Amino acid sequence: MSSSVVPPNLTPEDFEVEYSEEASLPPEDPSLSPSVWIQKNLFSSPSSAVLTVVFSVIAVLTIRGLLAFILGEERQWDAIATNSRLMAAQGYPLDQFVRIWVAFGSLIGLAGFSAAIFRASGTISLKRIAIWVMNIGVAAGVIGLLAPLSSSGRMGWIIAALVVFGVGAAIWFGFGEERRRSTFIPSIWVLSGFALIGVISLWVVPYGHYFLGEDGRATVEEGTVAFSTQMPWTVMWAILVVSHLVGLAVRDRLPAQASKGFLGLLWVIAPFVANWIILRDPDFDYDHVFSTDIPMALAFIVIGGAVLWAQSSSTIGETGRLLAIAILLAAVYTWVSRIEFLDFLPNWSMLQKARLSMLFLGLYGLAASNFSRDNATRRAYVAGWVIFMVIFHWLVTAVNSPSTLNIQSDTYLGGFTLTLFIAWLTLLVSFPIGVVMALGRTSNLPIFRLLSTGYIEIIRGVPLITILFFFANILLFFLPEGMEIAKVAAVVIGYGLFSAAYLAENVRGGLQSIRRGQFEAADALGLTTSQRTAFIVLPQALRVSIPPLVGQAIATFKETALVAIIGLNDFLRIANNTIPAQTDFVGAKREGLLIVSAIYFVVAFSMSKYSQRLEKRLGLGTR
Amino acid sequence: MTANMSASGMELGRADMIVSDGVDKWYGDFQALKGVTAQVAEREVVVVLGPSGSGKSTWIRCINRLEVHQGGTIAVDGVELTNDTRNIDKIRSDVGMVFQQFNLFPHLTVMDNITLAPRWVRKQPKAEAETKAMELLERVGIPEQAAKFPGQLSGGQQQRVAIARSLAMEPRIMLFDEPTSALDPEMISEVLEVMKDLARGGMTMMVVTHEMGFAREVADRIIFMESGEIVEVGTPEHFFTNPTEDRTKLFLSQIL
Amino acid sequence: MTMTEPSASRLEVSGKPPFYRDVTVVKWLVQLATLFTLIFITWFLAREAGDNLRAKGLTSGFEFLGQPAGFNVSEGIDTEPATGGRALWVGMVTTFRLAISGILAATILGILVGLARLSNNWIVNRVGSVFVETIRNIPLIVQIVLLFAVFGSLSRVELDSGPINGWLHVTNKGVSMPRVFIADGFYQWLVFMLIGLVVARFVRKNRIAAQEATGEPSYSGLATLGVLLLFAIVGWFIHPVFGFIGGPLQAISDGIANIPQVAVQVALTALAFFAAALWVKRFRDSRRTPAGMAALTDDDWFRQIFAFVGAAAAAAFLWLVWPGFSDWIVNSSSDLFRVLADKFGDNPEFLDADGVARDRDGAPFGWARPDIVQPGNFANYGDQGLTMSQGFAAVFFGIVFYTAAFIAEIVRGGILAVAKGQSEAAAALGLSRAQALRKVILPQAFRVALPPLGNQYLNLTKNTSLAVAVGLSEVVQIGQTVISQSGKSLSVFVIWMSFYLCCSLTISVIVNFFNVRMKIVER
Repeated sequence: MSSSVVPPNLTPEDFEVEYSEEASLPPEDPSLSPSVWIQKNLFSSPSSAVLTVVFSVIAVLTIRGLLAFILGEERQWDAIATNSRLMAAQGYPLDQFVRIWVAFGSLIGLAGFSAAIFRASGTISLKRIAIWVMNIGVAAGVIGLLAPLSSSGRMGWIIAALVVFGVGAAIWFGFGEERRRSTFIPSIWVLSGFALIGVISLWVVPYGHYFLGEDGRATVEEGTVAFSTQMPWTVMWAILVVSHLVGLAVRDRLPAQASKGFLGLLWVIAPFVANWIILRDPDFDYDHVFSTDIPMALAFIVIGGAVLWAQSSSTIGETGRLLAIAILLAAVYTWVSRIEFLDFLPNWSMLQKARLSMLFLGLYGLAASNFSRDNATRRAYVAGWVIFMVIFHWLVTAVNSPSTLNIQSDTYLGGFTLTLFIAWLTLLVSFPIGVVMALGRTSNLPIFRLLSTGYIEIIRGVPLITILFFFANILLFFLPEGMEIAKVAAVVIGYGLFSAAYLAENVRGGLQSIRRGQFEAADALGLTTSQRTAFIVLPQALRVSIPPLVGQAIATFKETALVAIIGLNDFLRIANNTIPAQTDFVGAKREGLLIVSAIYFVVAFSMSKYSQRLEKRLGLGTR
Repeated sequence: MTANMSASGMELGRADMIVSDGVDKWYGDFQALKGVTAQVAEREVVVVLGPSGSGKSTWIRCINRLEVHQGGTIAVDGVELTNDTRNIDKIRSDVGMVFQQFNLFPHLTVMDNITLAPRWVRKQPKAEAETKAMELLERVGIPEQAAKFPGQLSGGQQQRVAIARSLAMEPRIMLFDEPTSALDPEMISEVLEVMKDLARGGMTMMVVTHEMGFAREVADRIIFMESGEIVEVGTPEHFFTNPTEDRTKLFLSQIL
Repeated sequence: MTMTEPSASRLEVSGKPPFYRDVTVVKWLVQLATLFTLIFITWFLAREAGDNLRAKGLTSGFEFLGQPAGFNVSEGIDTEPATGGRALWVGMVTTFRLAISGILAATILGILVGLARLSNNWIVNRVGSVFVETIRNIPLIVQIVLLFAVFGSLSRVELDSGPINGWLHVTNKGVSMPRVFIADGFYQWLVFMLIGLVVARFVRKNRIAAQEATGEPSYSGLATLGVLLLFAIVGWFIHPVFGFIGGPLQAISDGIANIPQVAVQVALTALAFFAAALWVKRFRDSRRTPAGMAALTDDDWFRQIFAFVGAAAAAAFLWLVWPGFSDWIVNSSSDLFRVLADKFGDNPEFLDADGVARDRDGAPFGWARPDIVQPGNFANYGDQGLTMSQGFAAVFFGIVFYTAAFIAEIVRGGILAVAKGQSEAAAALGLSRAQALRKVILPQAFRVALPPLGNQYLNLTKNTSLAVAVGLSEVVQIGQTVISQSGKSLSVFVIWMSFYLCCSLTISVIVNFFNVRMKIVER
């Protein structure tokens, strides 16, 4: 076939192939002995030799300096150990801490299961594992030799290094060249193996138990870490392994497309559910629920359902769409007018519910004509509305009920948990907006194009911090009377709007890679513009945009650290402001900041490595 | 245009399916179509020939409004092509189109490619659309490829899927825009066979092509275009054996 | 397949469809409806904001720019700004300093690291990779805060603090080193150099022509450099001859000051409409065909109307929104020329702070080195040397390292993007390695790398705003202080937006200029 005809032939299979980095590498040149290698790579010419010496000195001095800092006598690493809970979740009530573990465990279980279903785990050859283990040994040896240690400490490091290196060498020599090159182990098992070593060490190694004592002073107990640390992490490890095993067991019995779609949905709602588990325990006022909330929900379910049933009839024609627009306009009117024709409603939260439900009804009704095929389709369409209304009304009622948990997200939730929440929610907020903006910018409707382009370029011309300031401090003024918004929510909205502009540019790249012929073929088949966008254009564009979108996600995660500046207690702020202010750890700033850097590095680095692998797998990296 | 050129289907005793009357089209200051006037009768197969850049593709792309003509009128099956959404929808569902580059949707299986429009434009139930799609795939000779993706098919197979995709909308007219130009030589015949089969079945067809054998064998009439104008219209015998215009003779001498 | 019979009821071949089915009409209706909805929402929000601000006793507006600032700035060109506007300007200058010095340093470091990552030498390559990967994967804000903490932990400023006393001091108050500064005679000397440039250009052309004529190497680069050097040296001694330029500049300044506001308004309005009309004329010309005017589509009409809407908006801005704008233009251009006249200093009206007539006959440049007179602190921006405060150093090194890591990847990518075949072809033609690099590979690599490089410069400029985390008084930090003093959050936000948009626009224009130039050179 002529390969130039169809653009990158991506099929769902491309995403499922178990990927291995080494499978296609040519055999190594065995003749390269160490001395030749050194000659070739370090001393190929006089200038190269000079560079080698200079850079070796730089490298040795840097490593030595860093080690001297880390292992220095005056370092207060116990500041971090004592405050680890603070950095993870700030001042979350201790007796409710199990909620965080439940949320975290659900996410880990979901991750392990999804990794199996999506076949996301790569494989690593035995050879590579051996090299890794030996490298760790070498690194430990380098530390042992360069670090300013006591002679017994140095001996300990070197012995440990030799042991680890020996394990690697054993793997290397225990198998023949053929076997170590061709035996592949799923990387998730290798990872859980390393994690298991860590978990076991929690139970056996006497790290010491650091905590703030009753008098508020830092206290240390000899022995292993606290049970409240050992147990949850062990359970987390077990959840990961079990969920992955379950996923492996059932993945061939489940319908692939449907289960992937369902898992995708779970991932979208996961942050909200996790947020919910951690922050709320609604205390429903059942009198109110039965007297107003449920009747109202029923009214919208019944009347809305009837309207939608009518709108999806195949004979209604343009009237159906006009009806939807009329409902939309009415909903908008209730927002902007100060004369409330919904004044009979008992309180403000009911008013919000009515307004939002009307808005959703209008929007949902706009799609009605796509479901007029037969009565089964119409029933499914209306059922969708009913389910949505039930969830929506439950959610709003729950949000407006007082919580038995006295936790306000602004003051009590913080640390790394907050960072993760903000990053995740921001991605969810920015995705739809970004896609719409990208579509607008590539649209052939001039006003839409102008508006989207203006939005994208203005947002991209301004630093994030000013946007965050705006939303944290100024947004409040723009809200109608009686409406309030938590600082975290305001920040998520602002950050979402900001990263939507960048996301739009990534999606635009994908949109522009779609050939004109695709549009023409869709037009020639008589698809409407929205059908063309939903079925033909977006699926292809988003697939092409996956690597830049992952890059964007990493950047979003990294820049979440900016919320520290506007006074949210993420873990950067705790390391930079809170810990150094404690009486026991005055000025212990660099330790915490180094830990924060390390955590950011590990997460961002592994994400970017994964994205590079994804890019290779999609064959998109090369142009 | 002189009257004798705009030979009409009325002479064959059939209704005109496509009427193109003085169609003009500019790209910037380049005029791609200069008052193109012609008719295509029901069940007629018209082949449009001409050197590249002569406006033949532009013309047939105007007929289902992939390009918007700026002067003159186009009517398909008595419906004039204007800004009216209802007319555009009607014409697009009546007119199938096959492209030079196939333009299959690479992210959908062959089956989904074919059933997409029937299900979402014609609102057919899924099962019905799939039965129909399998019939069509059998007709173009590749029922076994239904579950594959376009990227896994050869060019000839892709083009046959594209034809099946158009037929699934049950069009009354088929437009072919150089359907074999992007194919390797050994695959051209399989596509031409499907097209001949369609012509024998009585489909109204307009074909832009460089396949002279196909034109000679299947065409009822041949329209020769150059520089955005119709130069000559006639039966294949007339066109290939006894052309009247000098430009036609020059073209034929270069190509045959 | 079954052929359906032609439907009995054929639609009439008709002219105009009803408006609600007309593609063009529907298209515009939808767009206008969206536009008006947006305008309406904006208006609604603005109304709410106005009410809420009034209820809290806050007002928006820009009067604070001219009112006393009421606070001091910790570092910058003016630590005791008289007005709010002046305070913001001090912050903007600090931002400029950071951005410009940062761009220069990050480019140099980035290119070096990028080349290191391409090196065949294993350890050079590794050091480059570790640098890039580490820096790129840690948030910039964390790096800046960490650097700030590290600088803070350095030793105190002492009379003999090092590493090289009197030349380089690295202390907990920042870094101090020798500096070169522009001195009295600089502007006269600059005029001299401009003339030198013209001459050098002429010489260079001449030499290149000679080389092309004879084929002999003519050392055009050397000759050009020589001419420039000659002018620089001669100019150093005889530059006061240009002092007379001050007079004419002062005259120009006075002339501009006398232009009435209305004249500027009228001229600018006319210019806007003239530009719109010119654009429309050129647009219509492009649609003209040998066979007459091509039919204009609705998009074409929209563009033409939009051109005039733009002009009308400009006019509305000039006459209604900010009538003082024209005055501001007159005053500031007059001021600009007055300041320039002052720099040439032949005008005896201008006196120093001490009441002495300015002497502009001195050397064009001066230099100074750090000189610690008292332990504990550096003096800010004195004649003592180039001093970066702790905060400035943290932000500077932070953005430089961070941007350099990205630039390194761009440089590396650009060079790798030049196909291997290109260097092979160059070698096959007999070009030396250096010639191939200079004439074949680098021009192409630069072309690939320039757009993303411009993007990094934009990012760097925006990232200077992170200085707020370490309390360095650049524009965002000072804006925050203004907000807490006067409560004008909305106004300050507008100023931030406009400032950064202007910076972004300037960088885009510069990068685009080079981009376009290189494309032309290529073809």
